[in-house]
Amino acid sequence: MASIQVRPADLPSARRARRFRLGRPSLGRSALARNEARWGLTFIAPWIVGFLAFTLFPMVASLVLMVTNVRLDQSDPIRFVGLDNIARMLGDHTTWDSLAVTFRFAAFNLPIAIVIPFVVALVLNSRYLRAVGLFRTLFFLPYVIPFVSGVLAWQGMLNVETGWVNAFLRLIGVENPPNWLQDQTLIYPSLAFIGLWGIGAGVIVNLAGLRGIPTELYDAARIDGAGWWATLRNVTIPMMSPVIFYSLILGIVDVLQYFLVPLVLYNGTGEPGGSTLFFNLVLYKQAFNFNNYSYGATLGWLLFVITLAVTLVVFRTSRRWVYAAGDR
Amino acid sequence: MTIQALVEEEHMESRLSRPGVLVAAIAILATACGGSTATPSPSATTASAPPSTAASEPASQGPATVPPGGPVEIRWYCCLGGGEAPEQKSVEDAVVKAFNDSHPNIHLTFEVVTYDQANGQLATEIQSGNGPDIVGPVGIGGANAFHGQWLDLAPLIAKTNYDLSGFPENVVDIYKLDEGQVGIPFAIYPSALFYRKSLFDEIGLNEPPHKYGDKYTMPDGSQVDWNYDTIRQVAKLLTVDKNNKDATQSAFDPKNIKQWGLELQRDDLRGMGAYFGPGSLAAADGKTVQIPDAWRAAWKFYYQSIWTDHISLTGPQFESKDINPSDYPFFAGNTAMSENFLWSTYGVGDLDDWDLAAIPSYNGQTTAAFNADTFRILKGSKHPEEAFEVLTYLLGTASGDLLKAYGGFPARTADQQAGIEALQSQFKNQVDWQVAVDGIQYADNPNFESFMPAYNESLGLVGSGGKYLTEWGNKSGLNMDAEIDKLKADLQAIWDKAS
Amino acid sequence: MSVVGQAARPTLPALPVRRRPRLRPTKAGGRSFLLTFVVVVILAAFLSPILRSVFVSLRTTEQVGALDAPPWPAVHGEFDYGGKQYDVYDVPIDGATKPLALVKKGRDSSQFVDPANADAGLITWQGSWRSLSRSWTFSPEFANYATVWDQIAYPRLLFNTVAIALIGMIGTIVSCTVVAYGFARFRFPGRGALFTLLIATIFLPYAVTLIPTYTIFLKLGWVGTWLPLLIPTFFANAYDVFLLRQYLLTIPREMDEAAAIDGAGPFRTLRSVIVPQAWPAIVAVGIFHVVYAWNDFLGPLIYLSTKPDLQPLAVGLAHFNTLHYRNQAFIQAGTLMTMIIPIVIFLIFQRFFTRGIVISGVEK
Repeated sequence: MASIQVRPADLPSARRARRFRLGRPSLGRSALARNEARWGLTFIAPWIVGFLAFTLFPMVASLVLMVTNVRLDQSDPIRFVGLDNIARMLGDHTTWDSLAVTFRFAAFNLPIAIVIPFVVALVLNSRYLRAVGLFRTLFFLPYVIPFVSGVLAWQGMLNVETGWVNAFLRLIGVENPPNWLQDQTLIYPSLAFIGLWGIGAGVIVNLAGLRGIPTELYDAARIDGAGWWATLRNVTIPMMSPVIFYSLILGIVDVLQYFLVPLVLYNGTGEPGGSTLFFNLVLYKQAFNFNNYSYGATLGWLLFVITLAVTLVVFRTSRRWVYAAGDR
Repeated sequence: MTIQALVEEEHMESRLSRPGVLVAAIAILATACGGSTATPSPSATTASAPPSTAASEPASQGPATVPPGGPVEIRWYCCLGGGEAPEQKSVEDAVVKAFNDSHPNIHLTFEVVTYDQANGQLATEIQSGNGPDIVGPVGIGGANAFHGQWLDLAPLIAKTNYDLSGFPENVVDIYKLDEGQVGIPFAIYPSALFYRKSLFDEIGLNEPPHKYGDKYTMPDGSQVDWNYDTIRQVAKLLTVDKNNKDATQSAFDPKNIKQWGLELQRDDLRGMGAYFGPGSLAAADGKTVQIPDAWRAAWKFYYQSIWTDHISLTGPQFESKDINPSDYPFFAGNTAMSENFLWSTYGVGDLDDWDLAAIPSYNGQTTAAFNADTFRILKGSKHPEEAFEVLTYLLGTASGDLLKAYGGFPARTADQQAGIEALQSQFKNQVDWQVAVDGIQYADNPNFESFMPAYNESLGLVGSGGKYLTEWGNKSGLNMDAEIDKLKADLQAIWDKAS
Repeated sequence: MSVVGQAARPTLPALPVRRRPRLRPTKAGGRSFLLTFVVVVILAAFLSPILRSVFVSLRTTEQVGALDAPPWPAVHGEFDYGGKQYDVYDVPIDGATKPLALVKKGRDSSQFVDPANADAGLITWQGSWRSLSRSWTFSPEFANYATVWDQIAYPRLLFNTVAIALIGMIGTIVSCTVVAYGFARFRFPGRGALFTLLIATIFLPYAVTLIPTYTIFLKLGWVGTWLPLLIPTFFANAYDVFLLRQYLLTIPREMDEAAAIDGAGPFRTLRSVIVPQAWPAIVAVGIFHVVYAWNDFLGPLIYLSTKPDLQPLAVGLAHFNTLHYRNQAFIQAGTLMTMIIPIVIFLIFQRFFTRGIVISGVEK
C-alpha cells in the first residue's frame, strides 16, 4: 500500500519557517524586532495585569504560609517555622502513599482521557456517520450536568444492588455482578468511566482542531492511495499534534489535581482500602477539613513542583512531535 | 519550536527571584495584619474578650438609642446544622426583621450557607478576617469543628444577670467546656426508638414498651427485659423477604429482603456506641485512645445486624436511593424500628402509623444518646455585647418561632409542654411524646460529640461517612475485634501526629 | 472593502478545489449504518444515567421507596374502602387472577376486598401477600417541573446566571484571544518564561489559593457583588489562552504576512485574519466558559453568600435540594431544567464544528 508521509518538516510553512529562522540572527535587535516585542507585550498585557492583581498575591501568600504555622484554631501564636512543614510532609508516609495512588491512577486514566475524546471526535467527523449534529449534541450533553449531580448519578448507576449497570449484567446472566465502587481492582476503571462523562469538552477541542486541517492534505493522501490508517497516522495526527499537546498538558494537570470524584463518593476517606486517597484529596482535607492552612500550602507547593517538572519534560519532548505551521 | 520555555527557564528563575522576595515581604506584612484579626493570637483574643470591652462601655439593656456612627452591625451565620430550608428561612428572616425593628442600636444581618458548604465557608470567612458574630443553630459536634473559636459567655451572663435556672442542669453543663461556658441551651433532641405499629400488627407482635424500665412480652408470653438481646429477637421477626419469610425461619432469603427489622443510628460510630452506654474515645489524659466496652459491643451488634442477622441494611442498600431515598431507611417505611434523635421527626411525616418507644438497655443500663443545638458567639466578634443581646433575643423572644421552624424540643423546662404541642400539630397520628421527655434523663454523659484531639481528622475514621462505618457496611466476614483494634491504632496515629 | 481579506487568498498555492468523490452507495451505506449503529449503542450506555434522571424527575410520590416499583415513572392501582386507600394486588383466587385491594396484611393469610364488588366485604386469601405483584402503569408526573418552577425563584436566578455567564464569556473570549495572539505571533524577550508562568498558574490547587484570593476581594470591597466572578475574566486565564495559542499555531503565517504587506497593523490582522480563522476555537472557549459559569458553585457561594438576590442557579438549586432532599423527583427536575439553556447554546453553536467545509487552510 502506497502511503504518503506528511511530516511536519515537509509542510511548506515549516520549511519556510526554518529558512526564515536561519536568517534570523543577522536581524539582531533591529527596530523591527523591538517593534514586534512591543506589540507582543501589548497583547499579553491583560494577562500580566491580571496576574499581578489577582494571582501573584495568593501564590506568594501560600509560600509564606508554608514557612509559618497558620491553622484555623491557632492554638500556638503565628510564627516562622522554617522548614518544619516540609520536614513533616517528607516524613509522613501519607504523602508518598497518596503520590503513588495519584501516579498509578494517572498512568491508567491519562491515556483514556486523551485518546477517547480524540477518537470520538474522529467518529463525529466521519463522513459515514449520519445525523452528526444530533450525535455531537448528545456526546456534549453530560458535560453540562453539574459535577456533583453527575457523580451522584453514577453512584446510583453503579450501586451493587440497585444500579442499572448490575441490573443489565444480571439480565445477561452474570450471577454476582461486582461492587464497582467498593472493589479495589475495579475502582480505577469505574472512576475513569465516570470521568468520561465530561468528555464533551475534550471532544469539542478535538473537533475544532480537526476542522482546521486543510482538506487538500486529505485529497492529496487519497490521490496517493493512502488508506484510512495511513491518512490518520501521516496527516491527521501530525496536524492535530498541537491540540493533542494541549490535551496532554491539561490532562496531566487535571489528573495530578484529581480528587473531587472520590471526595463526593467516599467523603474523602480514601475507600476502598486507601485506593482513592489521592494527593490532592489529602491536601484538600488538610486545608479545608482540618484547617491546617500552612500544611495544606506546603502540600500544594509540592504538587506545584511535581506538575512543573512533569510538564517541562513534556514541553521538552514536544519539539520532536508537535507541529506548528504558524510558529517560528 | 513550540515553546521556548525551556530555553529561557533558567532566566525565568532568576528573573522571578528578585521581585519575588519583595512581594513576599509585602505579603508577610499583609498576612500578619489580616491574620491578627482572623486568627486571634493570645494577645488579640484578650483584646476582643468581654472583660476589656465591659470596662469601656456600659451594658446595653433592651432597646437602646442609635449610637453615634449608626447602628452596630451584627452578622448571624447559618447553617452548620440545619435551618437553610426555605420555609425555615422565612421564619428566620422574620425574626431578623422583628429584631431590627425593635433594636435601633443594632443592625442584624442573616447569612445562609447550605450544610454541605457551611464549614468551608465559615472557615474561609474567619481566616480572612471576615468572620460573623453569631453562629447557629449548631450542635455540639458541629461546633467542635471550630474548637477554640467560641466566646466564653460566662462574663456576659454574669454581667447581664442572665437567668439559667429554667434549664435542666445537665443540659447547661453540656456547654461548660475547656473553652468556658460557650453556649446557653436552646433546642434539645433526646433519642427514642421510632417504630411502625402496622408492621407489629401484621404478625400480632407486641409493641415495644413506652416506659423506661418496663418489660416486653414476647410472642410466647414470656416477660423479658427490654434490652438489645430482646430487640434483636423482635427485629428478626420483623425482617421479611419477598416470600414473607422472616429472619428466624430457615427458608429466609437474605438476598431478597423487603423489610428490615432494626436500624441503629449509623451517622457516627461514637453516637452508635452511646446508645449502648456513655463514653469517650479519649482516655483521662486526653491523648490516649480508648474504646469503651459498651461501644465495642455496639459496633459488633451493628456488624452482626447487617451480616449475620440481616435485620439492618447493608452499606450499599443504605446508599441506594431506591431503597433508602432520604437519609434514614425508616422514612421510606421499609424498616420496622429505628433508633434516632428527636430531630429525625422531620422525615417521618409520610408515615401515619409511627410512634416512639423506649431505647433498650445494655448490661442493665439505659442510655439514650443526646443532641443539642444552640447559637454561639465567635471569639473574633468585634461587638460581643451586642452579639450577646442578639443571642438572648434568639433564645428568648424569638425562641418559640425558631424552635417550631427547626423542629426543636425546647431546652427550657417550662416551654416543653408547648413544644410537645407544636410537634404533635405536624402529624396525623397521635404520638407518645412523653417517651422523648423521659429520654432526657437517660442522656449520655459525657456526650458522644465531646471534643477529642484532631477533631475533624478523627471524624474521617469514626464520623459520618467515615472509613470504618463504610467498610463494615460493605464487607462481610470481618473479624470485628481486629477491626476495632485497627480503628484504635489508626486513631492513635492521628492523635499522636496532632500533638 | 477589506483589502486584507481579499489579499490573503492569492498567496496560497491555487489548489484545485476538489469535491470529495462520491461514496459508492452499497459499501458506504453499509459502513454508514454500521458506524451509526455502534455510536447509538455506545451513546445509549453513555447517556443512561440521564435517562434515569429523567425517569426519576417524573416520578410520582407513591413510587418513592417502593421496592417493587419499576424504574420508569408509574403508579399502581389503589382502592378507596371505608374512607381509606388500599393498594390493589393481582391475586390468584378461584382459578383466576383478580385485582383485589389489600386491606389487612398478614404473614400467612391476608384480607382483601374486591373493588368490583366492595359490598361483598372482606375476602380472606391464604398465602403471602409479598409474593403478589402490583400492576404498575406508566404515568409520568410532569407537574414536578411546574412545582420546581413555582417553588424556586427561577426567573431571577436564571437572569443572574445568564448575566454572570455572558459577561464572563465576553471577557474571556476577548482577553484570551488577544493574549493568545500575543503569545502565538510575536517574539519578545521572556516569552517562553512568561508562557510557562501562565501555564504554571494552574498548577497550584485552588484549596491553597482560595483564602488569599478571598482576602484580596474582601479588601477590595468586592465580596457581596458579582465583581470577583466577572472582573478576572477580563484578564485571561491559562486554560483558554493555551487552547487558543495552540490553535493559532496551526494557522499558517502566510496570511498574517500577506495582511502585513497590505499594510494591516497587528490589531487589524487579529480582527480580519486570525479571528475568522480561529472561530471554532473561540466558539469552544465561549462554550466552555458558559458551561463553567453555569455550573460554578463554589465561586458564587463564597462571594455571594450574604446576597441571596444576586446568586445564580447553582447556588439557588442547592437550597432547593436541601428542602426537597426527600423528593428526588424535584431535585432531578431542577437539575434537568438548569441544563436546558447551555444545551440550546450548544445546539446553536455546534455548527461551527461542522466537518469538511474547510477547503483550504484559508477559507472558512
